Amino acid sequence: MTTIIGITLKGIFRDRVFQGIMVTACAFLLIPVIASLSMRQVTELSLTLSLSLISFILLLLAVFLGGTSLWKDIERRYTFSVLGLPISRQSYMIGRFGGVALFVLLAAAVLGAAAFAVVTYSSAIYPPDRPIVWSTMALCILFDALKYILLIAVAFLFSTVSTSFFLPVFGAIATFLVGGVTQQVYEFINSPASKTLSPFVKQIAIGLYYILPNFGAFDLKVNAIYSLPLHLNGLFLTAAYFIAYVGLLLSVAAVIFARREMR
Amino acid sequence: MNAIEIKGLCKHFPGKRMTKVDALKGLDLTIEAGEVFGFLGPNGAGKSTTIKLVMGLLRPTSGSASIIGMDASLAESRRHVGYLPENPAFYDYLSAEEYIAFVGSQFKIGAALLAQRSEEVLHRLDLWEARKRPMRGYSKGMVQRVGVAQALVHDPEVYILDEPMSGLDPIGRALVKDIILDLKKRGKCVFFSTHITDDVEKVCDRVGVIVKGSLVALDRVENILRSGVEGYIIHLQLPETESLSFAGIEALRRTDSVSEFYVPCSAFNAFMGEVNRTGTKVVLVETKRRDLEDFFLSLVHTGQES
Repeated sequence: MTTIIGITLKGIFRDRVFQGIMVTACAFLLIPVIASLSMRQVTELSLTLSLSLISFILLLLAVFLGGTSLWKDIERRYTFSVLGLPISRQSYMIGRFGGVALFVLLAAAVLGAAAFAVVTYSSAIYPPDRPIVWSTMALCILFDALKYILLIAVAFLFSTVSTSFFLPVFGAIATFLVGGVTQQVYEFINSPASKTLSPFVKQIAIGLYYILPNFGAFDLKVNAIYSLPLHLNGLFLTAAYFIAYVGLLLSVAAVIFARREMR
Repeated sequence: MNAIEIKGLCKHFPGKRMTKVDALKGLDLTIEAGEVFGFLGPNGAGKSTTIKLVMGLLRPTSGSASIIGMDASLAESRRHVGYLPENPAFYDYLSAEEYIAFVGSQFKIGAALLAQRSEEVLHRLDLWEARKRPMRGYSKGMVQRVGVAQALVHDPEVYILDEPMSGLDPIGRALVKDIILDLKKRGKCVFFSTHITDDVEKVCDRVGVIVKGSLVALDRVENILRSGVEGYIIHLQLPETESLSFAGIEALRRTDSVSEFYVPCSAFNAFMGEVNRTGTKVVLVETKRRDLEDFFLSLVHTGQES
């Protein structure tokens, strides 16, 4: 499996799509200039823009690499030659996933280092009112990466059943959009303001809340930007949720992929 | 132990409007160790389906396949197999050298041995000069040769090659034939599919012909060739004054003092008896036979009519 991870990483580094996406990271250079326009909250704005840019780049990587990695192998017939080797389909699929997930972690680390440099520079010129909690910022980036790894697992699951890239790519985007707001919808449904909604709509919303991944749980941006304390229990719960959800998605994907006909 | 065993293998694919397509209908086949077996059939006969089932790429509707006694659906059964898929495609961002190294690592070959074997196969398949270039820049023939190289690198006991000569120029085809003959000398089992009879005639011990998902013939190549003898072309030296017939058979043509006769098998003994009795000089005897292609075509026509 490690060789599959290695091959996957090599493929990503040599991929023009990846190279194009990483060019977006050059926008980091503009952040101190844009943040200085705010006059009062330069450091906070630098943090906001840096974390949002990281999130955006990781989203692009997750959707395009996660959605096309397995599908491309099947469509271009690479699977015939690789699965003719003594590799189980499960190992192959998990290896491909592992390679993309590891790459997202690496990208998050590199982009995180760039964000640290940008925020350090901004805070040196315009000292912030609140101290920057670097560990919270690091955790924010880590949980962002975990969120996108979860999205990659969703894209992989779609890839195992799809014969085109539409489902993996657009299915992942749709899941990301819906999964980002399910927590807010759930809270709204449980508030008095939702009294006017029909019970049927409420049941559907609650069902979606439990079925779809809750990406909102991984969002620590507000804590990082305003140096708010983190709740350790919440972090552990989110990490456990991540492990359980990714494990479940990959297990289902592995079962489907093992039964898939390579025609 | 048999190299490949196929028992009652069936494969149905879903067709249009809820119909099903019988791609393979109860195939039984045993390939022995050290045997070169040619799997002949027209396009769409079920050759690649059979190979994909043996390689675990497709799941059989019924029946089973095993490689060296191990269930073909298990990844471990492929540890002793060198497999070349039909129209192969490999990670095109890798070079041939990198891909061969990747394949070698999957077979757990030590680094030193892998480097040595990689160099050997790349030289043998004439890929040494191009070994560091990404495969996306390779021609179709070069990719096919990478496919053969990656099947050879771990020196397995069983080779399963789906149309190994496809996309190759005459030099490449000759090279692959040489490789198969060399594997035969070394006692390896080679199971390869093709629709080119000449390939089978030159390298195979046995041949199986599949038409519309059913095995319609299975025999040794030499038996097929022997059974295909229809008669003989006999060149006799006869004085120019003699008539154009001999032993009741008309000459096909006459050049100077040499006359050429077509003698059916049934008339051969009588004809040669007359040659002995008259003391006529025999210049040349050629066997007139159906070749493997005629044999194959007759089977295909019969199979398609039925």
